[in-house]
Amino acid sequence: MNPILEVKNLRTKFTTHDGSFYAVDDISFKVYEGKTLGLVGESGCGKSVSSLSVMRLIPSPPGVIESGEIIFKGRDLLKLSMDEMRSIRGNQIGMIFQEPMTSLNPVFTIGDQIEESLKLHKKDLSGKQIRERAIDMIRLVGIPSPEKRFFDYPHQLSGGMRQRVMIAMALSCSPDLLIADEPTTALDVTIQAQILELIKKLQTELNTAMILITHDLGVVAETCHEVAVMYAGKIVEYGTVEEIFNSPQHPYTKGLLNSVPHFETGSRRKKLETIPGIVPSLVNLPPGCRFSDRCGFKTDICSKQEPKLETHGGHLTACHNPVGAP
Amino acid sequence: MSALVEIKGLTKHFPIKGGLFQRQTGSVQAVTDVSFSIKKGETLGLVGESGCGKSTLGRCLIRLLEPTSGQIFFEGKDITNLKGEALRSLRRKMQIIFQDPYASLNPRMTVGSIISEPLEIHRIGESKRDRINRVQELLEVVGLRKEAAFRYPHEFSGGQRQRIGIARALAVQPELIVCDEPVSALDVSIQAQVINLLMDLQQKFGLTYLFIAHDLKVVEHISTRVAVMYLGRIVEMAESEELYKHPQHPYTQALLSAIPVPKVGGKKQRVILTGDVPSPVNPPSGCYFNPRCPIADGGCKVTQPELLTTRPQHETRCLKVSAQL
Ligand SMILES: Nc1ncnc2c1ncn2[C@@H]1O[C@H](COP(=O)(O)OP(=O)(O)OP(=O)(O)O)[C@@H](O)[C@H]1O
Ligand SMILES: Nc1ncnc2c1ncn2[C@@H]1O[C@H](COP(=O)(O)OP(=O)(O)OP(=O)(O)O)[C@@H](O)[C@H]1O
Ligand code: SF4
Ligand SMILES: [Mg+2]
Ligand SMILES: [Mg+2]
Repeated sequence: MNPILEVKNLRTKFTTHDGSFYAVDDISFKVYEGKTLGLVGESGCGKSVSSLSVMRLIPSPPGVIESGEIIFKGRDLLKLSMDEMRSIRGNQIGMIFQEPMTSLNPVFTIGDQIEESLKLHKKDLSGKQIRERAIDMIRLVGIPSPEKRFFDYPHQLSGGMRQRVMIAMALSCSPDLLIADEPTTALDVTIQAQILELIKKLQTELNTAMILITHDLGVVAETCHEVAVMYAGKIVEYGTVEEIFNSPQHPYTKGLLNSVPHFETGSRRKKLETIPGIVPSLVNLPPGCRFSDRCGFKTDICSKQEPKLETHGGHLTACHNPVGAP
Repeated sequence: MSALVEIKGLTKHFPIKGGLFQRQTGSVQAVTDVSFSIKKGETLGLVGESGCGKSTLGRCLIRLLEPTSGQIFFEGKDITNLKGEALRSLRRKMQIIFQDPYASLNPRMTVGSIISEPLEIHRIGESKRDRINRVQELLEVVGLRKEAAFRYPHEFSGGQRQRIGIARALAVQPELIVCDEPVSALDVSIQAQVINLLMDLQQKFGLTYLFIAHDLKVVEHISTRVAVMYLGRIVEMAESEELYKHPQHPYTQALLSAIPVPKVGGKKQRVILTGDVPSPVNPPSGCYFNPRCPIADGGCKVTQPELLTTRPQHETRCLKVSAQL
């Protein structure tokens, strides 16, 4: 099967007064129809920059996509004009952002905002058809009495409702690819469960390919088919969700999995496993492996040579000393 | 062992004023009729969704907010109406750590002066030298270098700033610390470091915690007992493991089942709640949870359930659960 999206050797550089650095440094991944790729990692590791690069929404300056290819349905997005990109964004690639309040316009009703993107991209639809489609979308995401809600302003809705509106907007043009950047991080768990269930249901119905960005490993395990673990701008481990969770190879992945409290009998009030130290600054990375200053498996080579992403235990890992099954 | 703190019928309603004469037009029922006690050295966890009243309760408990009604006892003494010097010396024994390690530290003060400020307020230490020594000791306790004293908060990472907040709370040797979402803003790997530190310090100094968070996994891990709040009221309270193994209240059951677990394969039965959290200005009649409850019946719309013992050492506020006893 051909991927809908294939990112190859993407590097995105920022130049700030602290110096310049690669927020995303030579990453490659593929996303398939009807499947979800999870991008996980801690704050600042480059998850959002990866997805903004795919959308060509990196603010410039300070940012620039320095090299790589972003092949979407056979075309390299990096070679398209800004006009061509605009017709792809919101139409063939939908996006849900983390903070719905900042991405919804407070002065327009939610109905207007959903209609807006349909008007822009589906020029063959009549005004009446657009209205119907917008109301259908509001119904589809599970907001009761859609005909009435159509005229609500964002501030009249709860956080969970706003996130549903964002999903309705992102899916209104039936995109081939949906990028969801922390779509539930700002929500309560019971509402998160509703939204994740909704996203999964719609994805199956519409057969959309999806990139789900999150720092929550639980969300990844329950929603994704494939997973790319990022650390300091690099993908350090890449495999199916079973491979990543059942036989993590990279010490960082393993550390992350072990540092979340589990509901296991007898584990309460015991010390959690930790990853010592903190994430390095991107302008001042340790030599060799970027994780070497925090890694318990470090050997001499680790601070001399950057490990390549290679197959260990059946999937890709960038580590000189892969740790094997837990 | 006796209780270090105890609250009885604690209620905090914020008035809503409106109109030309700023008359009271309603109230936010942030906390209603909460009673519990925390033993010395114990950690009581408090969980619930955003806006359910956790922070308000924590602040009332240590007298940072005036409760509307109810009583607070500390070491057996009624402190509800304590004022002046008596309140000031009590403050020493009760400290708070906030959620946001960025907003809660004054950016213009060095870490050293941030930590020694409470020492000065409570006139602890004979001389400046004493205080400097104490600051260095505290930095060491929370795992920061001594040089940190001369630097400013913005020079530290989130987890390190949270350590600074913890050092400041520890400075006055408190008995009780209200930890209000101390790890919510932190990355997982850093979250684990801070949780371990809080547990270590508890052992070392015999601290008592009220640990507030919306993440039930974290609360369960660190707490001896857990109280689940919904719309200003406690709906279930039990020992940590008991609560996890035998959740009684349909809300607790939904909360537990909604938590995504970092494991593949183990598909669990999920209770998906419909609807949103109702407003504390206008709570529903009967049981506050009834509009979202999967097992509610007609009676739940009318009768307000009480918090009753439904299993040994385990209290639940649900008509359906208590009807089965
Ligand atoms: N506009 C910008 N200007 C300068 N640096 C930026 C900009 N956007 C991102 N960066 C930097 O790029 C790096 C990656 O940021 P990114 O937003 O991708 O992180 P993330 O993985 O999405 O983190 P989070 O989980 O906090 O959202 C960070 O070091 C960040 O500071
Ligand atoms: N000073 C205040 N005046 C009026 N209403 C308030 C005030 N402080 C809190 N509230 C309201 O009281 C309710 C409980 O708020 P509280 O901050 O205690 O919730 P919480 O459980 O800590 O939520 P979160 O998880 O979001 O921190 C909310 O509806 C809030 O809007
Ligand atoms: S390459 Fe070395 S330092 Fe890097 S993760 Fe592997 S063992 Fe650790
Ligand atoms: Mg991000
Ligand atoms: Mg709070």
